[in-house]
Amino acid sequence: MDSSHGQDLPAQEPTGQVQRASLNTAGTTIRSIWNRILREFQAWSIERRILVGFCLVFAGILVISAVSYRNMTVLLRNSHQDTRSHELIQLLIGMGIRLDEAEDGHRRYLVTGDESYLKPHEILKERVPEYLRYVRELTHEDPAQSERVELLDDLVQRQLDAERDAVALRRKTGFEGVRGIALAGVAKSELDAFHRIQTQMEQDENRSIHRRVIESAAMTRNTIVLLGTGGLLLFVLLASVYYLIRHDITERRRVAAELERRGELLGAANKELEAFSYSVSHDLRAPLRHIDGYASLLEKSTVHTLDDKAKRYLQTISESAKRMGQLIDDLLVFSRMGRQEMLHTHVDLDQLIKSVLHDLRPDLQQRDIAWAISALPEVKGDPAMLRQVFSNLISNAIKFTATRLAAAIEIGSDQRNPDEIVIFVRDNGVGFDMQYAGKLFGVFQRLHRADEFEGTGIGLANVRRIIHRHGGRTWAEGALGQGATFSVSLPTKR
Amino acid sequence: MTVTKPILLAEDNPRDAELALAAMEEYHLADKVILCHDGAEVLDYLYCRGQFKTRLQGNPAVVFLDLKMPKIDGLEVLRTIKGDTTLKPIPVVMLTSSREERDLVESYALGANAYVVKPVEFHQFLKAVKELGVFWGVINEPPPESAGKSAS
Repeated sequence: MDSSHGQDLPAQEPTGQVQRASLNTAGTTIRSIWNRILREFQAWSIERRILVGFCLVFAGILVISAVSYRNMTVLLRNSHQDTRSHELIQLLIGMGIRLDEAEDGHRRYLVTGDESYLKPHEILKERVPEYLRYVRELTHEDPAQSERVELLDDLVQRQLDAERDAVALRRKTGFEGVRGIALAGVAKSELDAFHRIQTQMEQDENRSIHRRVIESAAMTRNTIVLLGTGGLLLFVLLASVYYLIRHDITERRRVAAELERRGELLGAANKELEAFSYSVSHDLRAPLRHIDGYASLLEKSTVHTLDDKAKRYLQTISESAKRMGQLIDDLLVFSRMGRQEMLHTHVDLDQLIKSVLHDLRPDLQQRDIAWAISALPEVKGDPAMLRQVFSNLISNAIKFTATRLAAAIEIGSDQRNPDEIVIFVRDNGVGFDMQYAGKLFGVFQRLHRADEFEGTGIGLANVRRIIHRHGGRTWAEGALGQGATFSVSLPTKR
Repeated sequence: MTVTKPILLAEDNPRDAELALAAMEEYHLADKVILCHDGAEVLDYLYCRGQFKTRLQGNPAVVFLDLKMPKIDGLEVLRTIKGDTTLKPIPVVMLTSSREERDLVESYALGANAYVVKPVEFHQFLKAVKELGVFWGVINEPPPESAGKSAS
């Protein structure tokens, strides 16, 4: 920068900074908008992206077609109008020549009296209406030119009239009568005026032609540019859509392969688990049977010699073995529940609950329970598994209301959400502390001491496993001493 | 109570065998029980070979078969018995610890006459063995000795 401008610098810089700052903020705004669009785009599903891509391509084709069509029409119109302009110019030139000839001829006649010189005049008179009709037709779109045509019409008529009059006078009076006008001609001024207007019209048309040439050239250029850039843009769009689809397909293939691999692993793991549980059911039970068996035999053979304490020990050994047997059985059922093939049929819950209650009759003896069972919907699922669910929930409710004088158990459903059916079993039993709600559905999780309420703690774990396999949820609400509500949901669509 | 035919008990586990015999004792069936310790012994008995070469002719009243046994397992023994026309009429009761569905399915498919899961609880085990012994050894009328031969 020139040193003389150095003084101006401090003054200029702030504005420069302000401009740069505003440019910067504009840049950040644009960038943030772009980022937002990008984020939005990334949030779209692949289907939506492809759809949008194809829509854009389609819209692009539409725009290009529409603009090209319009440009084409303009080009066609211009070329059509050019033809007309050229025709008009030619016509005007022709008319001028005819007028010149007529004027020239009538002057010769005036001088010589030779009738043959009047021929151009006659031809002109004859053709003038046709000429004018044609000229009018060619100029009817242009008011300025139309106006000039009227002037031309007038001038031609006047020239013809004047010539006719002069010819008549020549015939009547002979050369002497027209001597004054014979050399100059009677329509010199009209003819000049005609040529002037003719020139104006020619110039006008030429200007129009020129204007249209420029316009057409611009249109052609526009069309080429549009087709070029549009085509390129469409190509890029299509390429992106292709990339998206290809990427998606590759991804899907990869996921499918991965799923297959995991399926194989899972199958292997399942097989191992099956072998394990088989061995558990077979080999683990035998020693337990022996413990209980020999304890019983011992008890039997020493029934008269053992004191009560020793008898109690033996009893405990037997009971522990039995309990472990029960635990193993429950665990096997739980493990089988996860692997077993699932049926998928319609299950009438009303019937199911009825039959569960029928089976639970032994537990209901000497119990006074107020039942409130509402009509339940039909659901889809595995009947045996769902039976296990409600058997567990209801027997829990019966068990945990055992200490209540007026036990009440309610079974109902909630179908407010159309996507799932919620079925709940509510009791007014001992309830539970909500802080342990998460533990309730765990395997071998118990919130009560074994001597309070019997059970192995597998029931709710089974409930959860079965409901999860049905695609539903399980949850519990309750408060200590104020009863509990256990709910399961089953999806309506699967 | 007249029990003429022996009861064949295939049990590799001596404790289980002792418990079973203790249970049979209650109904005085124990002396009728012939104990085999593996599948090969069962077949030896049925075909009167090996250590049973000199035994009295005739099929047992019933065979109690454990599934898991050394040498030849229960299902293999069952397959042999039910595949042999002379042995086929002998009632075979699977007496096992396994509650696995595939064992049940396969046993019945091979022609087992009953399938009993040994209960862990001794009293129930006692009851089960007793009832089985009484039913198959006393109540049930075994097929006549000529049944297999006439069929062949």
